[in-house]
Amino acid sequence: MNSIIPGPEADLASSPAHRVEMELAAKYACEGPRYTSYPTAPQFRQDFPADQYLAWQQRDGDHKRAPLSLYLHLPFCRDICYYCACNKIVTRQKGVARQYLDRLQREIEQQSALVGRSRPITQMHWGGGTPTYLDNAEITELMHTLASNFRLLDKEYREYSIEIDPRTVDHSTIALLKGVGFNRISLGIQDFDPQVQRSVNRVQPYETVAPLVDHIRSHHFRSLSFDLIYGLPHQDRHTMQETLQKVSSLRPDRIACYNYAHLPERFSSQRAIDRLTLPSPEEKLLLQQMISHTLQDAGYLHIGMDHYVLPEDELALALREGRLQRNFQGYSLHMADDLLGLGVSAISQIGDFYLQNTREIADYYRLVDAGELPFTRGCKVTAEDRLRRHIIMSLICDLRLDIGDCNRQFGIDFKAKFPGELASLIPMAEDGLLDIGDGEITISHRGRPFLRNICMPFDAYLSAHRGDQPPPRFSATI
Amino acid sequence: MSESLREELGMTIRLADAGENSVLKPCVHDYQVSCGNCRLNSICLPLALESDDIAQLDDIIQRSKPLQKSQHLYREGDIFRSVYAVRSGAMKAYKTTDDGREQVTGFYFPGEILGMDGISNNLHASSAKALETAAVCEIPFTSLEKLSSLMPNLQRHFFQLMSREITEDQQLITLLSKNSADERVASLMLSISTRNSKRKLSATQFRLPMSRVDIGNYLGLTVETVSRVFSRMQKLEVLRVDNKEIKILDVAGLQKMANVGG
Repeated sequence: MNSIIPGPEADLASSPAHRVEMELAAKYACEGPRYTSYPTAPQFRQDFPADQYLAWQQRDGDHKRAPLSLYLHLPFCRDICYYCACNKIVTRQKGVARQYLDRLQREIEQQSALVGRSRPITQMHWGGGTPTYLDNAEITELMHTLASNFRLLDKEYREYSIEIDPRTVDHSTIALLKGVGFNRISLGIQDFDPQVQRSVNRVQPYETVAPLVDHIRSHHFRSLSFDLIYGLPHQDRHTMQETLQKVSSLRPDRIACYNYAHLPERFSSQRAIDRLTLPSPEEKLLLQQMISHTLQDAGYLHIGMDHYVLPEDELALALREGRLQRNFQGYSLHMADDLLGLGVSAISQIGDFYLQNTREIADYYRLVDAGELPFTRGCKVTAEDRLRRHIIMSLICDLRLDIGDCNRQFGIDFKAKFPGELASLIPMAEDGLLDIGDGEITISHRGRPFLRNICMPFDAYLSAHRGDQPPPRFSATI
Repeated sequence: MSESLREELGMTIRLADAGENSVLKPCVHDYQVSCGNCRLNSICLPLALESDDIAQLDDIIQRSKPLQKSQHLYREGDIFRSVYAVRSGAMKAYKTTDDGREQVTGFYFPGEILGMDGISNNLHASSAKALETAAVCEIPFTSLEKLSSLMPNLQRHFFQLMSREITEDQQLITLLSKNSADERVASLMLSISTRNSKRKLSATQFRLPMSRVDIGNYLGLTVETVSRVFSRMQKLEVLRVDNKEIKILDVAGLQKMANVGG
């Protein structure tokens, strides 16, 4: 099936088309946000108008009946994966899940009372940490708590997904997840090479993942997604080729490839990684190119950023129909405008507000125990933010921006309002990443890996940081 | 089958069989039974509890008079308020398909808990009706939750039980959806056999409380196919079928037919 995988060095580095891509990748490698929100999380502040948010929620209106998306953050992990930059707590201490579930339960009750209990939950995602740190009884209990406080759906079109660490589940858990209503699974694969796995402390041989994938399929989940990471220690073109071969033989419906950003000064677990074992920047570019080519040769469609899907997947259809959205879980179908995040560090996007729960577990417990909502930062979206968000999300999700529509919707003259931004796009247009027409900006196939670069000129906060914490170092754009 | 076995099975002595007004003692449909003296308490909810706690659990459980054959316990779309433990008899759960047909989704025997399909959206996702006269214990969910906060063991055990039920259901659905007619019928017979032995009843000899139509509907097979498979099993001397009476003659052979390791 993968006879078209290019030889490790031969085709990729030497063919002229690939050389151009490599040059572009090198040219546009810079640091930037992933735009899972706009304004991005670093722009959130403690002194945002929370009272306005609460007052708005206490008023009745359509916003109390519209569909809602839920995110649950389950922060615990049994073992540390050295690359991880997520908000997590590594422990095997008995009873921690119980303590957390008790608080999460209280937060769920409070939030549902505020946000609206009868809103149809069209999408739900459990992320972490490791959601399957919970045992089967705890998973059942948490789903029951959610069902008692929100209007969960049993409709076929619902998107209820959970992240799975293949090392933590057996076949019975998969059956249970299906039975409690999940219909999508995301597996943290990262890389199949044994040495790479050892060097990041996440050993999960292909031989155990493959039967798990079969098992997931036999339970008829609507979609299976793999997370991969490139830029990990000991990865090179040979290991990547093997990994990609295994990945495409398992044929997940969706693949998200993340770029490992080595920031040991920010993420202490990354200090366990020997810098000298990391692929060089050039090698990393090559890995990124290999992923892109191999997956597309294997029939996957590149939908943007580092996301690939099979052509029959709903996301591919949604891209064609302009129904994609991007939020804190990456790309998904646009089914609800509001996203409620539950649990420590979770982010909500509701109406004109972004809210983030405290990132500290002790604070989270203290606030919930005191009967308070646990968010501690946030921001209110301004009219200017809304316009820029529309532009950024259109470019990222639809791969085009209808300028006329934008002018009508926001009452602006795009070209007069964004002369500097347009000027920044011109070199990218000259490199063939996008096309600036009279009525629209369209992103070319070549431009899909560089969506962040294309969006950054429209991000007003890159040059005018307003968050109350120092601006972050972003991961490299590709 | 001996009379006492029949009684144990809770399947054959029907109130109707015995005449409307006769009183049978001891009666498995006795709704004065308590969790403390219920013979199913080792597989049902009280499993993890001390005897004092069992008495408290018993206080919240509602026992009403037995359901008659075909009587509904709950219907699809009803608000999920309780779960139910079958004490005697047998129940079936079914959904109504978009074109109005009945799709059987499960059979429930004594000691088994049903109604948990309501958990995922707080409405019952299926209907449940009695396959024969059946006694059930109703466990109101809000009381159970209140009690659980006082007895962490109960809460833990309840959700464990619930997760096991959900898991087994899904595993069977998966098994049934992809296998041959022989494998499906054999799997169901094995499942009933295992469940019987959990209740300390005969694993090899039992009476099917459901009709061939229900079996076919549940397994996604026509009635004719179900009958053909039973005939084949008889011919291979894997089991003996006498209308609804089943006697498994060759467990290994049945496991082989079901295509499960044995």
